[in-house]
Amino acid sequence: MCDILAISAGYNYTPKDYLPIFAEKSSENMNGWGIGFFREDKALVEKSAEQVFSDQQVHESFQRLARVIDSRIIISHINCPKSGGHHSAQLHPFNLTFLDHDWLFAQVGVVENINAYQTRETPRLEVDVYTARIFEYLRDQLVLLHHKNPYISVYIALRIAIQELLDDYPGKYTFFLANESFLFAFCNFRQLMILKVSESMGDILLVTSVKEGLSRTDWHPITPDPQSLGELLVIAGPDVLYAGDV
Amino acid sequence: MCDLFALSAKKDYSAPEFLPIFAVRAKKNMDGWGIGFFRKQHALVEKSAEQIFHSGQLHDSFQRLARVVKSRIIICHLRFRTSGLVDECHAHPFVLKFGGHDWLFAHNGKAPAIESYKSSGIAIKDAISDSARAFEYLRDCMEDHHRHDEKPEKLFNTLADSISQMIDQYPGDYNFLLSNGHLLFAFTNHRQFMFMKGSEKLKGAFLLTTLARGLTKEKWLRVAKATNRRGLLLAISGNDVILHQSI
Repeated sequence: MCDILAISAGYNYTPKDYLPIFAEKSSENMNGWGIGFFREDKALVEKSAEQVFSDQQVHESFQRLARVIDSRIIISHINCPKSGGHHSAQLHPFNLTFLDHDWLFAQVGVVENINAYQTRETPRLEVDVYTARIFEYLRDQLVLLHHKNPYISVYIALRIAIQELLDDYPGKYTFFLANESFLFAFCNFRQLMILKVSESMGDILLVTSVKEGLSRTDWHPITPDPQSLGELLVIAGPDVLYAGDV
Repeated sequence: MCDLFALSAKKDYSAPEFLPIFAVRAKKNMDGWGIGFFRKQHALVEKSAEQIFHSGQLHDSFQRLARVVKSRIIICHLRFRTSGLVDECHAHPFVLKFGGHDWLFAHNGKAPAIESYKSSGIAIKDAISDSARAFEYLRDCMEDHHRHDEKPEKLFNTLADSISQMIDQYPGDYNFLLSNGHLLFAFTNHRQFMFMKGSEKLKGAFLLTTLARGLTKEKWLRVAKATNRRGLLLAISGNDVILHQSI
């Protein structure tokens, strides 16, 4: 199964320690990697179809990027063989622009049938992987809800969008969706681990699907309530603003 | 009654047009003014006990600051004294450090009951007013939640609970802005907030004010507490309302 990591800070953060640890912890996922981040309000993505970890070494470019990226929000995805995507274009995170923001999306999960989804909006993500269809589906729903009510709160809009998604395309989803200001984390099957860490410039918040977290510190599990459709968190800076059942 | 202005944007933003418009439209508030903003996570405040508008002219420093201040979040307060003295110490926004952040707070309302509140923490220097005590109360309550809440702490819930507790213990008219530099919270239990986003003039920013007609001729959205509820709390980040919830 693939793994995802998100880092959120109140300032431009350089993930020189946590990205390599994430790569090492996810070393079984050998089918490529991606890192998404923001420069000002523009989303940028670097990805590669090469192994993130080989000969006991983290991929050189991955290491270099970890040392130079500085962004308030950083999302990384390490790809497993099951999820398809053997070309770098098919790797996460994906980037779409809508509702006045650049958005990044990365996902782990198992979803049937969503490959058939045809977006009504543009642009379309020109890759044949189901995660791209999930991202388009959520984008389409968010745009639609915003057209109906331009002042709908983003959390409520995403919650409705996820409810629609789960209704139309039931499956196992764990994903991050972020713009330059805030980050959403959703899970309905795999627990996410979360930790606030004090760094010299200020606190940062780490969220990952790696089951033991990235350090020996006490990570807090976010486990979806089996009675609910899943758990949706919104994170801004180093704080969880809100978390609730979908 | 004082008036409030806030700007929240995706990146550092200056408000050379909107701050003066706000000042002119709220010029009846003659007991001081303040502008709060963030630079590298630190809250900075420029304030004055002087009139914002005098002899047909906007205060010179205010005009200059409006051109120069640049921040993701800017909070401005024009004061009409209902509590405390007319001096610089009593002008808003106030700053307190807690929970790993610098916080800005500006208030417009009347809550005489809370003037008697004695904080066990660091007090806002030389300010004897309901607003200063309300900020200290919220700080104390949020820190208390931080110590006892299950982890991870949810900031919106922590603030909403703290506000509920404050209204229970010290009933009054509260209408305030609170920010830690990446989130802006707006709460009201007695006046409206008007807000606007998506305007071409705003170039990706979000504006909020207590002024009933907003700041431009465009259509502003009015939000206020529902009659059967105790208040309304909004959380804003970048140019979006992430959450709004009745308390």
